Amino acid sequence: MPLKPGELDLGTTIIAAEFKDGVVMGADTRATMGSYISTRNANKITQLHEKIHLCRSGSSSDTQAISDIVKYYLQLYSIVNEEPTTLTAAELMRELNYNNKEVLSAAFIVAGWDKHSGGNVYILPLGGTLHKAPFAITGSGSTYIYGYCDSLYRKNMEKEEALNFLKNALALAMSRDGSSGGSIRMAVITEEGVERLYIHNKDIPEYNDLEN
Amino acid sequence: MNFVPTALEFDTYGQNGQNGGVPTSLYFDPYDNNGGTALGLSGEDYSIVASDTRQSSGFDIYSRCDQKATKLTENSVLALGGFRADGRSLTKRIIQRMEWYRHAHEKEMSFRAISQLLSVTLYSRRFFPYYAFSLLGGLDENGKGVVCSFDSVGSYHDEPSCVVGSGSALMQSFVDNQIAFHNQQVNNEPISLEKAIRIVKDSFDGVAERDIYTGDSLDIFIITRDGVTTEQYPLRKD
Amino acid sequence: METNIIPRKGGFNFDNYKRNLFLEQKGLTLPKVTKTGTTIVGALFKDGVVLGADTRATGGSIVQDKDIIKISYIAPNIYCCGAGTAADTLFTTALISSQLELHRLTTGRQSRFNSAETMLKQLLFRHQGHIGAALILGGYDINGPVLAHIYPHGSSEHHPYITMGSGSLAAVSVLETRWTKNLERQDAIDMVKDAVEAGIFNDLGSGSNVNLVVIEKNKTESLREYSKPTPHHPKNCDYKYKRGTTAILKESIKDLVVVTDGEAMDIS
Repeated sequence: MPLKPGELDLGTTIIAAEFKDGVVMGADTRATMGSYISTRNANKITQLHEKIHLCRSGSSSDTQAISDIVKYYLQLYSIVNEEPTTLTAAELMRELNYNNKEVLSAAFIVAGWDKHSGGNVYILPLGGTLHKAPFAITGSGSTYIYGYCDSLYRKNMEKEEALNFLKNALALAMSRDGSSGGSIRMAVITEEGVERLYIHNKDIPEYNDLEN
Repeated sequence: MNFVPTALEFDTYGQNGQNGGVPTSLYFDPYDNNGGTALGLSGEDYSIVASDTRQSSGFDIYSRCDQKATKLTENSVLALGGFRADGRSLTKRIIQRMEWYRHAHEKEMSFRAISQLLSVTLYSRRFFPYYAFSLLGGLDENGKGVVCSFDSVGSYHDEPSCVVGSGSALMQSFVDNQIAFHNQQVNNEPISLEKAIRIVKDSFDGVAERDIYTGDSLDIFIITRDGVTTEQYPLRKD
Repeated sequence: METNIIPRKGGFNFDNYKRNLFLEQKGLTLPKVTKTGTTIVGALFKDGVVLGADTRATGGSIVQDKDIIKISYIAPNIYCCGAGTAADTLFTTALISSQLELHRLTTGRQSRFNSAETMLKQLLFRHQGHIGAALILGGYDINGPVLAHIYPHGSSEHHPYITMGSGSLAAVSVLETRWTKNLERQDAIDMVKDAVEAGIFNDLGSGSNVNLVVIEKNKTESLREYSKPTPHHPKNCDYKYKRGTTAILKESIKDLVVVTDGEAMDIS
């Protein structure tokens, strides 16, 4: 589903990866309307539940509407049942994505930590499928960094390693993709809780001196 | 104005991704409308050509001090509305033809000669016209004030008062009433130059309130037997 | 008693949809809605939020209204600037403000910024961009000052400073150079005024005056015509028409009442 005229596009790079203690998530902060950068400091990492977050890409309004609904479902769920798992959240997202695929232009990465299966990353592309993955990238900028991510991702990384991996991957995508840019937002989700990080535009590494 | 080097392209970016991958035909539009209003008035022994100095396109202001009127001789002034690039190149061409006339005949062109020259120049581009609306003000061979208005392909006629450009529809009815005394039973005394200038200023003040393409500043050219004098008057800048 | 009349439930009326489609095929062009060029601005400061807007409404190249109000009331502690289709911004803000008023009467509590934001974005999302309202929402509730923009398709974001409308490209340059954290109240007002003025002067769709609304804890101040950057010239001529200017083509006098002489009034 292409964007409607005048719709706000999150022509985005988003990424999430499992590491030793949980998951790390990252996103750029650019939102565009055609060639105009309508927002240079958007927040594309949204909280669904205490330890479940998601990265949004595609239409800004579609992705916000879906995540608001799922956030509400999970609130009810956690009152009636126990804390929701990441898979529960991802399945709810998938259901909405599948049933409304004709009218939506939305792709997500859902990631979180739960006591049953630890840190998990799920990717929900356009159309309503759901895949579990050790790491996931999507959005217009992701095409530039598949090779980089495939070659450098390792299981059970330390937190700092995982964050550097995310930061470098995003920096590379943002330097090539015109629809991605601005600053970098990251989130670390572990058993202990959620930590949010922000890397200002001026502190983003250049492609020739990436920190490894 | 939309300049595209090739006529047919695969629109791979697609504004907002709407036409992604679908062949879209794109046109080159050689014309633009740069707004602006020009007013011409003629009295017994004077004529006035006034124009605002805003140049714009769409919702953008390109210039706040663009002179749309040019002094051609000691008794004629030419103002142009419409597409500014055509207006400039037309003015340039008229000035050059007047120069050649001077070299051939060792005298300035008369007002009537210039208006005929302008008409044939416009008509020479009958099938790819200058997108320019011209207004020529001056004194005829008897020293009487005349103003001629032209359409884009050279049709022209004399009028005591005429307006061209973006604010013409708003201003024409006002000057018809105040200068040509349309719909007025009494009050037919000829208007003095001083009063005419005051009416010109008020006309532009009024139009600048309601026409978004008119504003910034007003150039007033006053043509009398003694030559051409100019006056500036500030207009709204929003 | 049975009845065939189905009560109206509110929302839009599509009765004329098919007729208009038919008329369009016959070559009728539908009337254009007023889409005003606009400069609207909002900014957070130390302990509040300032909203600002120009006052011009355009229809094509003509200025339709020189002094319209583009900042509308949502709740005593929440106001909203509107850009886009004039009727859409007017009706969406009126609808949400009425719903919030009823909610306040039920709960007896101050309206929350988030309620207004969520109601607006859900309304706009439901109509899939067909309601052309681009909004800047500003308010002060128990979470302190907040500022958000809402696009016609129903997405919203919180930012410390925002501008929308055709003049936003001019206004954003002022905000990007001048905005800092914890601005003083007067500095924020001046910055927002200058940002709107940048739109007024450099965007032909925006013009006339600057209206401001300042929202602080338990205090909302509306500053109508805070700045009038385009002074009005006095007239150079007198346009009073002389008696007899309008021609009398014919004259007819009809006696509609019969006047009879009575007794003289007692004026002693």
